Amino acid sequence: MSEPGSERRSRLVEEASLSSWFRDGMCLALGGLATACHAMIGVRHIVRRALRDLTVVGSAVGGLDVDLLIGAGCVRKVICPYVGAEALASIGPFYRAAAERGEIEVWECDEGQYYAGLQAAGQMLPFMPTRGGVGTSYPEINPSLRVFEDPVRGDTLIAVPAIEPDVALLHAAQADRYGNVQFVGTGYADRLLWRAADRTLVQVEKIVSNEEIRRAPERTALLADGVMRARFGAHPFSSPGFYLEDRAHIAELVDAGRAFARSGDRGPFERYLDRYVYGPADHVQYLETVGLRRLLALDEY
Amino acid sequence: MDAASVRELMATFIARDIEDGEEVFVGTNLPVIRAGALLAHLHHGPSMRVMVAHTRTNLYHTPVMEYFELLTDWRGARWAEAYFNDNEIVMYQKSRRDSVFFVGALQIDPFGNSNLIGLGRDQRRLTLRGPGAIATTTNASHVRRFYLFVNEHSPRVFVPRCDFVSTVGWGEGGADARRRLGLPGGGPRYCITPLAVLDFEETSKRLRLHSVHPGVTVDEVRARTGFDLLVPDRVPVTAPPTDDELGILRRRVDPQGLLRR
Repeated sequence: MSEPGSERRSRLVEEASLSSWFRDGMCLALGGLATACHAMIGVRHIVRRALRDLTVVGSAVGGLDVDLLIGAGCVRKVICPYVGAEALASIGPFYRAAAERGEIEVWECDEGQYYAGLQAAGQMLPFMPTRGGVGTSYPEINPSLRVFEDPVRGDTLIAVPAIEPDVALLHAAQADRYGNVQFVGTGYADRLLWRAADRTLVQVEKIVSNEEIRRAPERTALLADGVMRARFGAHPFSSPGFYLEDRAHIAELVDAGRAFARSGDRGPFERYLDRYVYGPADHVQYLETVGLRRLLALDEY
Repeated sequence: MDAASVRELMATFIARDIEDGEEVFVGTNLPVIRAGALLAHLHHGPSMRVMVAHTRTNLYHTPVMEYFELLTDWRGARWAEAYFNDNEIVMYQKSRRDSVFFVGALQIDPFGNSNLIGLGRDQRRLTLRGPGAIATTTNASHVRRFYLFVNEHSPRVFVPRCDFVSTVGWGEGGADARRRLGLPGGGPRYCITPLAVLDFEETSKRLRLHSVHPGVTVDEVRARTGFDLLVPDRVPVTAPPTDDELGILRRRVDPQGLLRR
């Protein structure tokens, strides 16, 4: 070990030391969008530890990462305009069942209000105004959205309070050990989640050299507090430039959720968790369970 | 060529209402809306810009754009001219003020206000949780105009009052309804269903029958609408696609035949 200050600090996080990032009752933002780029090593870690009472800020088109956490009983409150997998599951079955039964609190919003709340947090403001939502039921079903008269022009607007995650958990293409993170593609709204959160942990497909980052520094999208090696770390969801979503695996998860939502039968979901979450000791074992043949079949094009 | 399917007819109606140069935002997993937007583009809109899922493109000189089911399928990048972060797409509405948008619904009221939130009285105990507004609340507040689009025309969908409103159409009614709410966008122009096209009467902004699809009667549409629909004296039949339009639809827009299933 070098003396403090004598060497640039590495931001590398090992899977075995993930636990310090997550705790009961925290506000956790999850990156990606719809069926892409959810940080599933972190999500499975949270399920394995059976954390409770999380406020989950899913992505704007929240995926089944959120649904899995709800199914596993980790979630108290959901902040995002959607939870599902579009054509593969128009709505997350656990999300739907828990919301309809009043077992979770849903912070009702559309994408405009959701992003406004994160923007407010990033700018260290108490709220951000939106026009979208004026005249709708949103202020009634989400009392945090306050209709007010704009002091500048007198317009009727909605004040969206800051959404302030403790941690943003993201998945990206590559980073160096110092936390310089680069995406393939836009990174959806991950950069805004980083801006809004107190701390950001990013799983990456590849850890690359600092020289590699400096070759195209304009591509660096965010500066993470922690970066974790995570080849296939978004599986079963897609990771642009690396692999497509694993539809068969997603169907397994969706079917398990639907069995529960339909008849209260947790059996299929428990078997899913045993096989993919509780069983594997770490991410590599998870990938071995999924199988090399399946993983390699997810190559793009 | 076989006669047009109802979904091809709906796509054709959408296409004819979109002008060259307009920018159209198509969501994801919406084959009829995608087809309507692309038909307009390839038939008479060489300078249109279309956003299919997140892929912003112009396909006028491109034979076919593959159909992608998922929002984040980056294989669409082969056709893209631009991508933007999702938060920018939603937040910066100024650049969408001249664009055209589509809104789906679980329920639609007589003034075109619509609901994607869910069914029930109490938000904490919905009898059916809907998909949520996604970005329709914000987009429909700002875009030049939008279209309501539903795959079912029934009294369950067309209700006197929505359980919840996620997207404002013409609010409490009247041509100044949106101005009174301070919403800058132009509001809904048409509502397209598998039975008919509805528009909004100019003064009251109540839903009115605009045309019925071939083989559908006015009485049938009335009976399948859960409130008094305004019906003019003469109701035309929704015009079918020309051979040219149908050819473009089947060869370049929808070679998989999703609209004929």
